[in-house]
Amino acid sequence: MIFLLRRFVVLLCTLASVSFLVFLIPYLTPGDPARKILQARTGELNLDPSAVEAARVRYGLDKPVIEQYWNWGQNALHGDLGLSYTSRTQVSDLVGSALAVTTSLAVAALFIALVAALPLGSLAAIRRGKASDIAITTVTQGFVALPEYWVAPMLVLVFALKLGILPSAGWTGPASMILPAVTLSLRPLSYFTQVTRASMVDVLESPHLTAARSRGLSFAQAMLRHGLRNGLLPVVTLFSIWLAGLLGGSVVIEVIFAVPGMGRLLYQAVTDGDVPVIQAGIVCIVALTVLITTLTDLLYALINPTVRSSNVSR
Amino acid sequence: MTDTLTISGLTVELGPPGSPPILDRVSLTVGPGEIVALVGESGSGKSMTAMSLMRLLPPGARMRADAISLGDIDVLHASEHEMNHIRGARISMLFQQPKRMLDPTATVGAQVAEPLRLCLGLSRSQAHARVIELLADVGIAEPERRAHSYAHQLSGGIAQRVMIAMALAGQPDVLIADEPTTALDVTVEVQILQLIAAKRAKLGMSALFVSHDLGVVSSVADRIAVMYAGRIVEEGTTREILHSPQHPYTKALVKCAMLKPEADGSLYTILGDANAARAVSHGCRFRARCLVCTAEHLEQKCESEEPELAGCGRAEHSSRCWATIETRKAR
Repeated sequence: MIFLLRRFVVLLCTLASVSFLVFLIPYLTPGDPARKILQARTGELNLDPSAVEAARVRYGLDKPVIEQYWNWGQNALHGDLGLSYTSRTQVSDLVGSALAVTTSLAVAALFIALVAALPLGSLAAIRRGKASDIAITTVTQGFVALPEYWVAPMLVLVFALKLGILPSAGWTGPASMILPAVTLSLRPLSYFTQVTRASMVDVLESPHLTAARSRGLSFAQAMLRHGLRNGLLPVVTLFSIWLAGLLGGSVVIEVIFAVPGMGRLLYQAVTDGDVPVIQAGIVCIVALTVLITTLTDLLYALINPTVRSSNVSR
Repeated sequence: MTDTLTISGLTVELGPPGSPPILDRVSLTVGPGEIVALVGESGSGKSMTAMSLMRLLPPGARMRADAISLGDIDVLHASEHEMNHIRGARISMLFQQPKRMLDPTATVGAQVAEPLRLCLGLSRSQAHARVIELLADVGIAEPERRAHSYAHQLSGGIAQRVMIAMALAGQPDVLIADEPTTALDVTVEVQILQLIAAKRAKLGMSALFVSHDLGVVSSVADRIAVMYAGRIVEEGTTREILHSPQHPYTKALVKCAMLKPEADGSLYTILGDANAARAVSHGCRFRARCLVCTAEHLEQKCESEEPELAGCGRAEHSSRCWATIETRKAR
């Protein structure tokens, strides 16, 4: 319970400090924020000074930074993240839909990576040093070196243009998710496989597995009951790091496959100087990252009793 | 009544072909209800013998034998599937570091229940009730609570008691105990030894005790086999080994175990290195550290070949030393 409470306080502190830093972005970059807003909206370079002054008052930019932050924070807590400077739509709608797209893509990619990596890594560990181990290790390590901007067109070429079984781009349903998810899964797949292999090699040599076999468990039973759980611990940690990392979106993949995700949204917002979108986007990503890390810690404690115990040996 | 465990001509090799064997034609029998101790320095092949019996040698180890059997079960030629029914149910094992032998992510109760469910086919609730009984039976206080503990919450002594409960759960005929008290405090050591001895007597099991400590095994064993560099060099009843050791190595071990200071106040030690003895390809492997060899002017004989285990007087006592053979001839 104390553990949960402590994590919650950390979550709040992280959010408060990050959101403040993010809020400062327009003031840290050169130029007058009010002027930038008008420029972003009108595309006009020579602005009327009185219009700039009017905008400054309208957006509350004449008030002290702390007060502005306080107002923004209060609104944000009520779900109001302001209007986009460029499209004049609710920022919460923009970020919300982009985040939903990116999250489903990230989860799909990591699911593919995990489903492939766990058996591959375990197999490589069991057949350590044999041909199948070398093949698995070499191929999956090769995935890290494959750039996404090469893999993506190749997949489109084969599956969309040659075979015509999958859509080449867009975000129209589960089928359109497959190619971007596969592209996105290759790197995590590679890392997951390596970590699974390394941790399974340790597990295979662990004495308690021998003890389990000495009481009549077959190799498969011993692995399932006493091997996997121990072997999975490092993979859980790595999985959460990747999930948090992928929530920022991937510009390359989202552009190539025309996926309306966080990567494209933020890239566009930065180019346009659309400060409310940048602020809201980053704060949301940070909040999710901290949330995922917290959940991972809880999950970790659930699988690994040594970190949760309060009554150590007497 | 339990069956006789027989090992005959057990040879185990590890590493590249041609490297000296870890075990070299080891033969041993453990009669029904008997406690036999296998004694020797670290690296002499005691644990390897135990793991060979369980057919749980590390990957890459090559095992040959004329026979390994328990009653009418052929352990040597049993399939992996058959072995799963022999381990835990007919032969169980205790290990040196009990805490490392428990799965850190599974409760004690779940692990003790496994042989019950696998070997005896108990239901989940039957197994749970039996787990509590077994834990209480090996002297664990608050067995209900302990069944929900994890390895890191246990002391070494408690962990070894759990391992004993686990080893007894499948009601085996033979208990192999590989240095079961080496990692424990001296005070706990005695308790654990007494517990094992009491359980063995109550259940009528036979036991193979593996230890480097002659003092520890002499209190429990009926017979002792002394190993040196992968071979058994002397075998006899505990009394014979302790009171009239024949092989110079056994003599030295007994002398070490007495912990009697030498004339100059130092403790007796066997000079030299046991690991170097493995590389000796012919002759007696102990000769480089042997004081008898030179004293009796047997260098040539000791260097050219190693004698077979030969009876020395009493029927059950045999040793592998030219000096004892020569003395008996001379008589």
